[in-house]
Amino acid sequence: MITAARNYMIFIRRCTRIAFVGDWRYYAWMGLLTVISLLGLNAYAKQLVHGLIVTGMSDEVSWGVYIANFTFLVGVAAAAVMMVIPVYIYDNEELHDLVIFGELLAVAAIIMCLAFVTVDLGRPDRFWHLIPGIGQLNFPRSMLSWDVIVLNGYLLLNVHICGYLLYCRYQNKKPGKWFYIPFVFTAIIWAVSIHTVTAFLYVGLGGRPFWNASIVGPRFLASAFTAGPAIIILALQIIRHYTHYRITDKALLTLRSIVQVSMIINVFLLVCEVFKEFYSGTTHGVSARYLFVGLHGHHALVPWIWTAITLNLVAMVILVLPVSRSLRWLDVACVLSIVGIWIEKGMGLVIPGFIPTPLGAIVEYVPSLNETLVCLGIWAFGLLCYTIFLRMSVPILQGRIAKSNEGQPEIQGDEPETAPVADPLPH
Amino acid sequence: MTPTLPPPDDKTSDASMSRRNFLRGAAAFGGLTALAASLAPLRQLEDFSSSEEFLQKYYKELTPDDMTKVISRIEREVQKEYGIRPHVRDLKPMDGVEFVYCLNLTRCIGCRKCVHACVNENNQSRNPEIQYIRVLKMPHGSMDVEKGDHTYEAKSVPEKGFFYMPVQCQQCQNPPCVKVCPVNATWQEKDGITVIDYDWCIGCRYCEAACPYWARRFNFTKPEIPKERLNPNMAYLGNRPRKQGVMEKCHFCIQRTRAGKYPACLEVCPVGARKFGNILDPESEVSYIMREKRVFIQLKEEMGTSPRFFYYFDK
Amino acid sequence: MSKNTVTQYWLGALTVVFLGLGGFFIVTSAAHPATGKKIPLVDVKFLDRTASRRTYADLVKAGEDLSDYDCYGCHEKGKPPPIRYDADHKIIVPKEHSDVVMGHGSHDRNNLCYNCHNEQNLLTLQVRDGHEVGFDNIPQLCGSCHGPNLRDWEAGAHGRTSGYWNHSLGAADRLSCANCHNPHAPRIPTRESAPAPHSLHGPAGTTTPHESTH
Repeated sequence: MITAARNYMIFIRRCTRIAFVGDWRYYAWMGLLTVISLLGLNAYAKQLVHGLIVTGMSDEVSWGVYIANFTFLVGVAAAAVMMVIPVYIYDNEELHDLVIFGELLAVAAIIMCLAFVTVDLGRPDRFWHLIPGIGQLNFPRSMLSWDVIVLNGYLLLNVHICGYLLYCRYQNKKPGKWFYIPFVFTAIIWAVSIHTVTAFLYVGLGGRPFWNASIVGPRFLASAFTAGPAIIILALQIIRHYTHYRITDKALLTLRSIVQVSMIINVFLLVCEVFKEFYSGTTHGVSARYLFVGLHGHHALVPWIWTAITLNLVAMVILVLPVSRSLRWLDVACVLSIVGIWIEKGMGLVIPGFIPTPLGAIVEYVPSLNETLVCLGIWAFGLLCYTIFLRMSVPILQGRIAKSNEGQPEIQGDEPETAPVADPLPH
Repeated sequence: MTPTLPPPDDKTSDASMSRRNFLRGAAAFGGLTALAASLAPLRQLEDFSSSEEFLQKYYKELTPDDMTKVISRIEREVQKEYGIRPHVRDLKPMDGVEFVYCLNLTRCIGCRKCVHACVNENNQSRNPEIQYIRVLKMPHGSMDVEKGDHTYEAKSVPEKGFFYMPVQCQQCQNPPCVKVCPVNATWQEKDGITVIDYDWCIGCRYCEAACPYWARRFNFTKPEIPKERLNPNMAYLGNRPRKQGVMEKCHFCIQRTRAGKYPACLEVCPVGARKFGNILDPESEVSYIMREKRVFIQLKEEMGTSPRFFYYFDK
Repeated sequence: MSKNTVTQYWLGALTVVFLGLGGFFIVTSAAHPATGKKIPLVDVKFLDRTASRRTYADLVKAGEDLSDYDCYGCHEKGKPPPIRYDADHKIIVPKEHSDVVMGHGSHDRNNLCYNCHNEQNLLTLQVRDGHEVGFDNIPQLCGSCHGPNLRDWEAGAHGRTSGYWNHSLGAADRLSCANCHNPHAPRIPTRESAPAPHSLHGPAGTTTPHESTH
């Protein structure tokens, strides 16, 4: 028992060490992310002192970019399963070694989600009121209490799966099926649930007709399964470029077909929604009119949503055409979908729900500088986390950090990378 | 696809190794310094939460002894801040009482006196402004709130061709705001008033998004109440001063109505458009109105919220 | 330049950037990122809860000057003052009563003083069937024409109230007709509206009424 604990501590120590070691590009990148994170933290400290008045939010538009980013990132986190499903259900060989990068992305995304929710709270010091037992979690009535449970549960599941697989690899041991397969399948169902629950957060509000539509849930999933794998496609290429970790083009193209199908569904659902809102012409379509064409001279969101739609359509066309089998075009399509969906799902979903207010007033919303800094800080912190996760996991998967080389000279960071090694995850 | 590998580095000397380790340490030190410095604004955090307030139990779990302590803490805090010793009470709902509000749209002239009487009674922030009542100037013939004007100002109201509709918390029998609160910080009491425990609210503003009447308000910063306008007659679930970062809303003037008095918005109304009372008492004016008048409007009836706030006409 | 040296330069640069950032945080720590706007306190006249008019009964209760009601200080007993009309059949208010503005009923149709005043005894009023009513019993007078309003008023559904809704804890203070309505011109006068709301950041938000929503 004690030896096991000691061994685990050595593992943790070596992982921590490697996070601080790298070549100049690593330091430059991490330095940049640290600076932006700290700017965000500083902006948040100011928000804590002066209150949410330092944001652009108001009683009229009471949620803003914090919740918009939260919503987008829940989708990114949920999309990690889109790599897990082919691997564990269809036994896709190409993706097998890469699943862990998707799951690590999910962990980083959930960390960002929790950060975005926390900065949105007026009284973060009272977070303990949410803890069952000592607090008063309003479960199952409040969808937000569901969200608290599913998000934290998803975080734990993924931390367990990633941590367990990596530690097994470090010890060069075959992972015990019972220690992770049930968790993997739970995580698959759980991933769908985190995004559905987040959609229900909006759908359940009868007083906000723009959100009170059953299509919001499916749209959430479709857009998540577009943007999530798109991010993973880009991330995998970056990993391949900097670490020579073995990632085949075939794996990327498998992900491409996921993005392709999801994007088509996503655009189709958007068309369904636009038709319903505009053709019926009921007063309930007023928020959609504000979003797409503007209302009584207010049209802050109009350029945004049309940019998003254009990006999504162009991305869809590229994805459908054979041209996106070339990685360059695929990358373009991925970037376009990510940006398009970020706008559509963030600003395009959250803000118009508040405009006009239930009493018909139109007050527009523009994020403040301080609020933007907090957002950038959280994004930078999330990327910092993901970079560190990759910095730890890649050498472990490559066998460069392993139990067998404990006590030998450690990686210094700027020595040349070993040639590409083919060392799949044991399974 | 594999990019060409860079040539192997020169053999790193011991000196350069230790210099690099030193620089790593320096960068880490710099980073930690910047981290500490980034939190510098927190030095201005004044009474964000006393440990007593931070550890305070949920309202429904407070024993009478706990409540006495909580009330004396609040009285202490108010005295420190405003120099006035308030009288804070924890007023409970009365047996056999369910409140109903009736507002006569035929009478209302849109003078907004109710708005300001409410602010004055309930110690709302003047800067930024928090108001529980929003008066809509509506064109004749429509109940579509989207046609309402919120910011009209006139030397002489009522203006021709318009009617006026004040909207405040409708004290729903089926309140969406209560359902969504993740920490049960807001609930409906048996006299029909939906209250908020300001010391329990975490400020997520989900209730604000859920309310179909836009009746809830958030303290985006520390409320500002001039000392000379502080109302010292306070209730725990009512008009005691709120803190930054929590929700508040109309509570039918709990500090008055649970002591048997009329709410402040009613008393100030120059035309008697506002009527309030116990619907369980057949002799009350609201029971009379519900019996005798013909048309009642529960705003956004299709929401299924069943408001206890009725709009009616009498001519 | 060896890669090692490059790394060292970057580490050095990072240290400097971090320390600079720390300095920047300290220097700007007192700045408030939001510029608040000043909202003037609302004028206390909008908080006034007193009745807009005082009735005969109020004056009696307060023990105040009742000389306005001393009709026979000027008029002669047993000789009802004559009422004169102009060409439009509008009543000509004598200059001694210039404070009276006639405006009861639409189209000035209710323009006979003795519809309410008792011509036989100017110190009292009279209802439509000729019953004499004192100045302290105005609701009975008004109710003789405005029956439904009297009924509402008696039930507490018409008119201003203050005090206690719960009569076991205290009395409700119900105002009389003439506390709000001027009997000679009972329509409630228009008044200035209290200030409009201020939104947190910009204008409070208004939609101009428009012809159609669709």
